[in-house]
Amino acid sequence: MTRVKRFGAAVSMLAVVAGTASPAFASGTTAGSTITNNVTVSYQVGGVTQNSLSASNSFTVDRRVTFTVAEEGNATTQVSPGQSAAVTSFIVTNTSNAPLDFALAATNRAGGSAAHGGTDNFDVSNVNVYRDTNNDGDYDAGTDLLITYLDQLAADANTRVFVVVDVPLGRSTNDVAGVRLTGTAHEATAAGSLGAVVTQTAGANTAGVDTVFGDTTADGNTARDGIHFDEDDYTVLAASITAAKTSRVISDPLNGTTNPKLIPGAVVEYCITAANATGSATATNVSISDTLPSETTYLASFGVLVNGTVTGSTCNADGAIAGAHASGVVSGTIPSVVAGDTRTVLFRVTIN
Amino acid sequence: MKLLLILFALLMPSLALAQNQVALTSDVLVERTTTAPDGTTRVALEPPGVVTPGDKIVFVLRYNNASASPAADFVVTNPIPDSVQFEGTESANAVYSVDGGQTWGALAALSVRQPDGSSRAAAPADVTHVQWRFAQPIPAGQGGELRFRGTVK
Repeated sequence: MTRVKRFGAAVSMLAVVAGTASPAFASGTTAGSTITNNVTVSYQVGGVTQNSLSASNSFTVDRRVTFTVAEEGNATTQVSPGQSAAVTSFIVTNTSNAPLDFALAATNRAGGSAAHGGTDNFDVSNVNVYRDTNNDGDYDAGTDLLITYLDQLAADANTRVFVVVDVPLGRSTNDVAGVRLTGTAHEATAAGSLGAVVTQTAGANTAGVDTVFGDTTADGNTARDGIHFDEDDYTVLAASITAAKTSRVISDPLNGTTNPKLIPGAVVEYCITAANATGSATATNVSISDTLPSETTYLASFGVLVNGTVTGSTCNADGAIAGAHASGVVSGTIPSVVAGDTRTVLFRVTIN
Repeated sequence: MKLLLILFALLMPSLALAQNQVALTSDVLVERTTTAPDGTTRVALEPPGVVTPGDKIVFVLRYNNASASPAADFVVTNPIPDSVQFEGTESANAVYSVDGGQTWGALAALSVRQPDGSSRAAAPADVTHVQWRFAQPIPAGQGGELRFRGTVK
């Protein structure tokens, strides 16, 4: 067939084509749609307009299964040792051109580099997935429902889910636990139940709707397997409390307060310090108890001063009387020790 | 007379073609880019097997004047299917419409009215129809091919 080369003058569109960026059709034409192209020709023969001619062709749009599981935000979740219900959030987005169910599984990372640079060195427990049922962006215990899959996520729709875990006790600052949320495409066959795993149409194109996996290699995923995951992590910020105990003699029955000696009847002041290391989490309700030596007697008239400060290595007698003494045990609870600070429990005894 | 009819039949094997003096077909091809292990890419046009949103497609219109007379004022009109975003033509000298076929012109001469009442220059994505108007008649026995490109929305 020869190509007719004699056209009227007009500008070629080729340059425009080259300059057009690839358009992003998030989910696009619904799978199963038929696209029909119709073309018409009109012409004259011998000066007489002939009946116009039409031609058409059609093809069916197949199902492209693409979706993402993506961490929401790009920061680690800071946790305390022993914290329960520590939350990371993810967004599952269905960019397929058909509704799908998505099975969701959250797992601990096994070592290696976690999502935000640290090295995974412990596992969290009680790992569960919750849907942000009220869509407020925050995990609300009792409101957001425990799920194992997303039911019938429409094309172009997305849903926020939370991975909620418990952090074990005994972890130190900058310990990291990585978690991975994996989504697997399932058929959205019926509402309220997880459909069968989606499979790609094998072999040649069929006349019906075929299924093609289009998921990518982003975040270390395997391309075109109908599975997509992303990772997030928890970083421990622990308090690091160091306790120390010092004593000094205040007075004795013979010298008074001038160069007192540790003779029977002398008054001795004990200072228990609780120091929280720089860069630690604030420690609250620091409870201190001290069993008195049997050779000493608690000095009730002085009391127990709690939450005092330290200047250099000297304990200041500036706490509040808040502690207690019972059965030879002195106790006090310091409300809060911020990072880099030292607080005290101060009391006096007499030597028997 | 009978002999003449037979002779006529022999000379014109396809009676249908003789009646339809101009033949027209529409085909669609999908552009597939494959990347070789050495990183080079190869673009191939394939029949529309598996087609999913975002795929680049090429519409191929073939015409042929099978009659004994030239076909004059030859105009080929193709509305862009709803689910296809027009990207451009590969065949020169097309005119376009961005308003459903009411007005026609070179794309640079067309504008689109925006919701706020202002106008902007038309882009390929705005095209609703593409048309080729042949200045010269299609000679008897001759034909050709017209192509335009789109992307499945």
